[in-house]
Amino acid sequence: MSVVEQTPKPYSRDWLLSDRPTSRHQARLGRAYVIWRRFSENRLALVGLGIIILLLFVAAFANVLAPHNPVQGDLMNARLLPPGSPGYWLGTDDQGRDILSRLIHGSRLTLMVIVLVAVIAAPIGLIVGTVSGYAGGWIDAILMRITDIFLAFPKLVLALALVAALGPGIENAILAIAVTSWPPYARIARAETLTFRNSEFISAVKLMGASPFRIVLRHVMPLCLSSLIVRVTLDMAGIILTAAGLGFLGLGAQPPLPEWGAMIASGRRFILDQWWVAAMPGFAILIVSLGFNLLGDGLRDALDPKEAGQ
Amino acid sequence: MMNSLNRRVRILSAGAALALITLAAPQAFAATPADTLVEGFAIDDIITIDPGEAFELSTAEVTANSYSKLVGLDPADTSKVVGDLAESWTVSDDGMTYTFKLKPDLKFASGNPLTAEDVAFSFERAVKLDKSPAFLLTQFGLTGDNVTEKAKATDATTFTFTVDKAYAPSFVLNVLTATVASVVDKKVVMEHAKPMTPSAEYKYDTDFGNEWMKTGYAGSGPYKTMAWRANEAVIMEANPNYYGEKPKLKRVIYRHMKESSGQRLALENGDIDVARNLEPNDLKAIEGKDGLSSTSAPKGTIYYFSLNQKNENLAKPEVVEAMKYLVDYDAIGATLIKGIGEIHQTFLPKGQLGASDEKPYKLDVAKAKELLEKAGLKDGFSVTMDVRNTQPVTGIAESVQQTLAQAGIKLSIIPGDGKQTLTKYRARTHDIYIGQWGSDYFDPNSNAETFTVNPDNSDEGKSKTLAWRNAWDVPKELSDASKGALLEKDAAKRAAIYQDLQKKVAAVSPFVIVFQQTEVAGYSSKLKGYKLGPSFDTNFVHTVSKD
Repeated sequence: MSVVEQTPKPYSRDWLLSDRPTSRHQARLGRAYVIWRRFSENRLALVGLGIIILLLFVAAFANVLAPHNPVQGDLMNARLLPPGSPGYWLGTDDQGRDILSRLIHGSRLTLMVIVLVAVIAAPIGLIVGTVSGYAGGWIDAILMRITDIFLAFPKLVLALALVAALGPGIENAILAIAVTSWPPYARIARAETLTFRNSEFISAVKLMGASPFRIVLRHVMPLCLSSLIVRVTLDMAGIILTAAGLGFLGLGAQPPLPEWGAMIASGRRFILDQWWVAAMPGFAILIVSLGFNLLGDGLRDALDPKEAGQ
Repeated sequence: MMNSLNRRVRILSAGAALALITLAAPQAFAATPADTLVEGFAIDDIITIDPGEAFELSTAEVTANSYSKLVGLDPADTSKVVGDLAESWTVSDDGMTYTFKLKPDLKFASGNPLTAEDVAFSFERAVKLDKSPAFLLTQFGLTGDNVTEKAKATDATTFTFTVDKAYAPSFVLNVLTATVASVVDKKVVMEHAKPMTPSAEYKYDTDFGNEWMKTGYAGSGPYKTMAWRANEAVIMEANPNYYGEKPKLKRVIYRHMKESSGQRLALENGDIDVARNLEPNDLKAIEGKDGLSSTSAPKGTIYYFSLNQKNENLAKPEVVEAMKYLVDYDAIGATLIKGIGEIHQTFLPKGQLGASDEKPYKLDVAKAKELLEKAGLKDGFSVTMDVRNTQPVTGIAESVQQTLAQAGIKLSIIPGDGKQTLTKYRARTHDIYIGQWGSDYFDPNSNAETFTVNPDNSDEGKSKTLAWRNAWDVPKELSDASKGALLEKDAAKRAAIYQDLQKKVAAVSPFVIVFQQTEVAGYSSKLKGYKLGPSFDTNFVHTVSKD
């Protein structure tokens, strides 16, 4: 008797969900599909994803989308117009600049801050955490005490001190936020590493003669990635808020850059009579932060089956 | 069951009552004390309250209310000078020697008698300390070596002052109304003096109490300064030994408040009695409210931005001229400074002798571009501007940033508090500085000198005028005209010289003058007699009373 195995059509649903993948490629795609299915079950996570995609779109096409020049206003004729004025959907600020155009161009700054901070802070945290977790001993002690020192400062205060020392400006603000946000990643990466370091597959790799460098880079780090991605995504809202806070205090982006936090700061003077100047960038920050939080939540559920049902 | 419900209701109602009480409390206790005047005022520019050193606008008001001078401006008619400590004075026939007779039985706040000896000491101290405002006195030929001869007490109530040229007497007397001529208590000051090691720069073995006086007080004005805490408050109390009309309120507090909207809210809630830095929109809102009033007075203060001539781009005459065409004067006048200032483009404020009202410049980007091309800067250049982060200067700086961008000039704004930007300005390390200039005394020479005289353009220059701060090597012709006007006794001729000078300075100087300030204050109608003076050292508070 022979069992006739029906091979599903490549890239079909069954092929992706097959529990006996015939190639690495199929296995990877299958896993991604499962994660996506789990992710897309969560409606709110999809909303978050939608917001982030919209943000990317707006930032990419800011030049086309913005109806006005974000840094050139019409002081004489268009100062402090309320939302809904012809040509100025969200009103204008105290220099006669279109708030909508400034928000659209400001999305680039926001995105730049998030991406750069993530690119700088996440790898540092990952390296410090995995090395410290895998090496143990005095390396672990030294690296973790350094992490403790950073964690002992309130994040915003440390960022403030750094920016004050480096001089105000958006680049320095990014640097300051990155320097203050890696320690939690290091902690997570270390905790994950500790759970793997004594497992069989690591021992097997060791027996095959892999160097500690290779083990950390090729076998430990990839396993830490998913929890790190979740944490970074969830932190992005915090990064946006910190950047906006620095901008608000005049230590982030400098005029005329349409950074959202700085826009709120300049609108604060008119908050009693012209609420929209401060409120509009506030809404923008709220929506984008919410988007990242929802996305992060969904990613956690999808990537981390342990916590999924909780 | 019933019982527990009752308990819950009780707790709930108690909680609600507590919430109501805390809600109502701020209104109940918000009013300022009946014997205290509380002003909301941006005082971040104060760096010292030593009258021998202070040269800032907010400090001028503090020292004016806490120190006395020989003579003061007549508040009713600022073209006249009236005696303050001095009962009378005479000028010798050659116009060089001034003899002041002090009022009898004068006393300092400390209780020490105030004699001509203290007056002479105050002059000596200011000249020897040689801080920013010392030039006001040294311009009369006083130096550290001869000051004890030129300004001396001949007896307990007679003070003689000898100048080096036959200046117009009104000019000399006007200068003596400036803060630097305030009389300090010799005994108190010298008790707190710190020994110094004489060096090439500072030749004396004492600091004349300068360090202590930065926050200390040794005066005889209607109020005594109890404390100055940077960026927080100035607290003054009535001086029982004041010889003039007794102050009506016991205490005056200047609370540091930066934001116009914050001041407006505090004023509406009764947390402060006077709001001093209201912006146009907040002023408008206050004018319509019951129980609040506003007052205004044109000030001898002009707002300008200046181009440091050490910067090679800014030193080009075409660039200097182009800058003057790159300010949207009309729009700024109609929006950012509406109600708090008027567009003004010459260095003498309206109201002073010879002030010109000409406005030769308006926004003209095409012309500016042409000039920049002539200067070889067709593609523009990058430059920084130091901006104190209060309005209206930040708003104007941003507006200028936009108009400069239209001609390809990339301006980056460096924000800072008053202290930071001023310190940088005085060290001549800025590119562009935006700020205000208030006349030191109500005489055209104050502005004419600072804008057009710069005898030594090196970094060590002694006369730290605005021309010096911007490293402007003033053409000799202009300096000479300015100095000549000083000796011209005929007022009409003097005015004509100044008018001509203003035209020439407007054309070539690295100063882009934007507007003249109208100072406004919103105040609670409970106050009686609240008035703003024509200058910053005539905003007196001792005549204010409260219902």
